[in-house]
Amino acid sequence: MGVMKIWYFFKGYVIIRVEGLTLERFLNLAATNDIYLWDISRESYTVLQMKATIEGFKALKGIVRRVGCRVEIIDKKGLPFLFYRLKARKMLGFGFILFLGIIFFLSSLIWNIEIVGNERVKTEEIIKILEKEEIKRGIIKYKIDKDYIKYLLLNEFDNLSFLSVDIKGTKLLIEMKEQDLPPERINRDVPCNIVATKKGVILKAIARNGRAVVRKGDVVKEGDILITGVILDEHSQKQILVHAEGEVLAKTIYSHRIDEPTIKTIKEETGRTYTRREFKIGDKGVQFFKGEIPFKDYIEEVEEVKPFNLDIDLPIKIFVHQYKEVEIKEIKQNIDFLKQASHIRAVEELNKQLPKDAQIQSKDVKYYLKDDILSTYVTLEVIEDIGKKQIIYGN
Amino acid sequence: MKGRMENFKYNISEILELPKDVVMDLPKIVVVGNIQVNISNHKGIVEYTQETLRVNSSIGLIKICGTNLELKTILSEEIIVKGNIEKIEIYS
Repeated sequence: MGVMKIWYFFKGYVIIRVEGLTLERFLNLAATNDIYLWDISRESYTVLQMKATIEGFKALKGIVRRVGCRVEIIDKKGLPFLFYRLKARKMLGFGFILFLGIIFFLSSLIWNIEIVGNERVKTEEIIKILEKEEIKRGIIKYKIDKDYIKYLLLNEFDNLSFLSVDIKGTKLLIEMKEQDLPPERINRDVPCNIVATKKGVILKAIARNGRAVVRKGDVVKEGDILITGVILDEHSQKQILVHAEGEVLAKTIYSHRIDEPTIKTIKEETGRTYTRREFKIGDKGVQFFKGEIPFKDYIEEVEEVKPFNLDIDLPIKIFVHQYKEVEIKEIKQNIDFLKQASHIRAVEELNKQLPKDAQIQSKDVKYYLKDDILSTYVTLEVIEDIGKKQIIYGN
Repeated sequence: MKGRMENFKYNISEILELPKDVVMDLPKIVVVGNIQVNISNHKGIVEYTQETLRVNSSIGLIKICGTNLELKTILSEEIIVKGNIEKIEIYS
C-alpha cells in the first residue's frame, strides 16, 4: 500500500467530503464502478470523508447524481497540484533553475590544478607553461584538451617517463613520473684518464686500457691521475691518446664524530594542556586570549581546523594552538649505554656515505669524555674503486 | 438440490485441495490482530459507522464491531477495515 500511496502522490489526489443519507449505497456503487476510494472515515451520521484520485473524482459525478448526495473537495494533494501552485510563484521556480544553473556552471570550472610526482621539475614551471596556454584556475573544464596538455608538457620536459592528465570534478590532476638520469657516459672513442675521486692508499691498479701510473702503496689525493690515457708509442716515440679503462682499488678512510652530552634534559609532559584558538583571514590573525599561558615550560602544537575534512585552501582559517605543559628534568645517562648508542649511530651515518661496492676492511672506535660531553670517533677503512673517467682536453 | 451441489463442490475442493473460498464462492475474512480485517469476495456494504460495519456476502451478513473503524480500501472484491476491532459476527 505504501507504494500505491507514493504513486497516488505523484498522480495527485483529492480529499473529499460526501454528505447524504444513503452513503453505503454510494460506496457500493463506487466499488462496482471500479472507482478507487481509500481512507474512508465516518465524520458524522450523514458525512463521510475519503480520498479519491483525480479521475476517480470526475467519475464520481454520475454516482453522486444517482445517490443524491453532496460532494465537496476539502484538500488537493500531490505533485500536479503542487506544480499548479508553483505556477503562480514564478520567481521561486526561476530561483531554483538559477540555483541549478549556478551549481552546474561552478562545477564545470577548474578550481584547482594539482601536480603530482614531480621531483626535479618545478611545479611553478609547469604552471607557468600551462598558463601560457590559458590553462589556469577558472577556465571551463570542457574546453581542456588533455592530449594537448600531455603533448605540451612532454615536449617541454624531456625527462618525463610518464604523464597523465585527468579531470576529477573541479580538479585538474597532472600526474607524472620522472626518469632517473643515467650517469654521464663517455664515449668509447673519446680519450680519457682515470683520476682519483678521493684520497686513499692504492692497493691494486688494473689497467685494461691505458697505462697505470700508480702502484700498490702509493698515496693519492683527489684528482690525481691513476691510469693515464696518454701512451708513448715505443717505435715512433709519439704520444697516442687512448680511452683509459680499468679498476683502481684503494684503501680509503671514512670517519665520523658524534658529540653527546652525558647529562640530558628531558621534557616530560605533565598532562596538563591549554588550548587557544586563532582565526586567520589571509595573513592577519586574531588570537582569542584567555589570559597568559599558565605554564612555565611548554610545547606548542598548532593544528588547522578544516571544515568537513575538505582539502580546500580557504581564505579564512581556524587554528587551534595547544600548549602542553612539560617538566624539564636533567638525567645523567649511563656512559656505557651512551657509548653503544652513539657508536651505532655513527656507523649508520657512515653507511650512508659509503658507496655500494665498498668493502669494509676495519673499524676503529674511540671515545673521549670531556666536560660532560662524550665524543665518539668511528673510523672505517674501506676498499673501493676510486677511479673516475675524465676526458683529456687539448692536444 | 442446492445443498447437494454445495456438497459436491466441498468434496471436490477437499480432494483437490483447492481453496474453498474460490470454489464455493465464500467470503474470506482475514483478521490481523485486532487492528485490521480484510474481507474479500463481499457483496456490498450494508451499514458503515465508526462503531459497526455490516457487509453482505454469500453466507449472509458479516458484522464487525469496534471503535474508530475506518475503511482503508473499498474495491469490488475486497474491503479493508482498520481500527480497534472487538467483535466479528456472522448472521447466516
